[in-house]
Amino acid sequence: MAKKNYNTIEDFLLDESFNNWSKENRLTDVDFWDEWIAYNPEKKELVNEAKDIILGIQFKHTEPNKEKTNADWAVLENILKAKNIEEQKKQAPNYFRFIGIAASILLLVTLGIYTLNPTKVVYKTAFGEVLNLKLKDGSLVTLNSNSSMYYYENNNRKVWLTGEAFFEVDKKETTNAKFWVITDDLKIEVYGTSFNVDTKHEKTAVFLEEGRIWLALKNGTTKKMIPGNYLSYSAKENTVLDEKNNLNSHLKTSWKNGSITFDKLFLKDAIKKIEETYGIKAAFKDEESKYKIITGAVPITNLDICLKAIEKSVSVHIEKVNNQLIIKNRTEN
Amino acid sequence: MKKLSDEFVWKALKEGDLKAFSILYKTYQPRLYNYGLKISGNIPVTEDTLQDFFIYVYEHRENLSDLDSIAPYLFSSYRRHLIRTLKKRSKIVSFDEMDVKIIDIQFTPEEIMTHQESETFKDKNISILLNKLPKRQKEAIYLKYYSGLNTNDIANIMEVNYQSVANTIHKAIKNLREEVSILELLNS
Repeated sequence: MAKKNYNTIEDFLLDESFNNWSKENRLTDVDFWDEWIAYNPEKKELVNEAKDIILGIQFKHTEPNKEKTNADWAVLENILKAKNIEEQKKQAPNYFRFIGIAASILLLVTLGIYTLNPTKVVYKTAFGEVLNLKLKDGSLVTLNSNSSMYYYENNNRKVWLTGEAFFEVDKKETTNAKFWVITDDLKIEVYGTSFNVDTKHEKTAVFLEEGRIWLALKNGTTKKMIPGNYLSYSAKENTVLDEKNNLNSHLKTSWKNGSITFDKLFLKDAIKKIEETYGIKAAFKDEESKYKIITGAVPITNLDICLKAIEKSVSVHIEKVNNQLIIKNRTEN
Repeated sequence: MKKLSDEFVWKALKEGDLKAFSILYKTYQPRLYNYGLKISGNIPVTEDTLQDFFIYVYEHRENLSDLDSIAPYLFSSYRRHLIRTLKKRSKIVSFDEMDVKIIDIQFTPEEIMTHQESETFKDKNISILLNKLPKRQKEAIYLKYYSGLNTNDIANIMEVNYQSVANTIHKAIKNLREEVSILELLNS
């Protein structure tokens, strides 16, 4: 929120809350800036100029259509294939070169830029991997580890999710087009907002950070959520398992910035999170270390640093044997 | 982390992977096509130079430095490639400030959304006002709001520094606001 002086146009442009006000994005920022402008009438021209720079001008995209691009690619692909054959004739077959290409195809699969059929786009993450995506409509998705998501190429505003993801959906003011997230348990109807969805543990948990969303549960009921709401629902058990308000957003969504935050958790519960994130099993050697209390943040893409951080903060010893973690109390040694 | 996919495509492409190259092509060809058409105003020239350009990128893939973002590289080198071709075609010998003279983007009413987010530009004949702007302001506006590139990338493409792009965009918006208020005065 604003705390400094605003004298040049850059001061406004670089301010996140000012950007929110311009786009009428966040109620607290909108209120703040409406008031600020009322108290600083001499800055009105500068403010309006900055607002126009942020909003800019909306263009229709009159780019060549898909068929044209695909046709042009087909022509180019043939030219390049012909060139590749010429190249290979000149060179002796190179084993390492082949390995390089094979490895890159493998990477394509693991990093998730592959398509199952021409119209389905799938993204997958391995354990300990987080993927940031920008969809065609401008919406941002952060896919947590061991998760997958897909949509059909002709409509990226309807996505199917298994695992956990954080969505920042771009508002489509002109068309009022909705964004849908579909899981095994429920459907989420969205109109420009940011929220977290977690389908691990045979349920779907949704946390809303900003904006407004509607849930359509598998059992037919619908629910409206407002910022700070958290709800988890299982279709199998056909019940709402948990519903909370004003939850600390950091706890539910810190993973998208590369860390898991523990807030006064028993170590055994914190370790469960680590197991899910890294796809690894853990065993405790003693009861005492299970119930140590841990508070703090650990990285989700680097297991070694993560374990060291835990060892330091709760004084346990963690050993990695054959992809299993052995945890024991430090004082026992 | 953010540009993981770009970086990956780039690496696979450098190894000659045609599948990776097709991802690159299908992602950027439409945007570059439109940019090329805006610069040249000529469909055959745009199509030919664009295909040539992608062949060039593929053939020289091994000399390319690793990039965390492909878009600014493709825009700026395609721009250079196209300008070179246009210069040859028009047989201009003097090269001073040629780019500035050649690149004169024109906007049409059909490509402006009827619904503008800004109150200032709502229900105005924006394309006419845009076309009145100086050439560099038009290009900066195009790259920022049409192609969706950030100020840093635009600076790379237009071969000027960051501050200069920021100033150019500020001036363009300021000019447009002035034009709009003049129009309103005349109409009242």
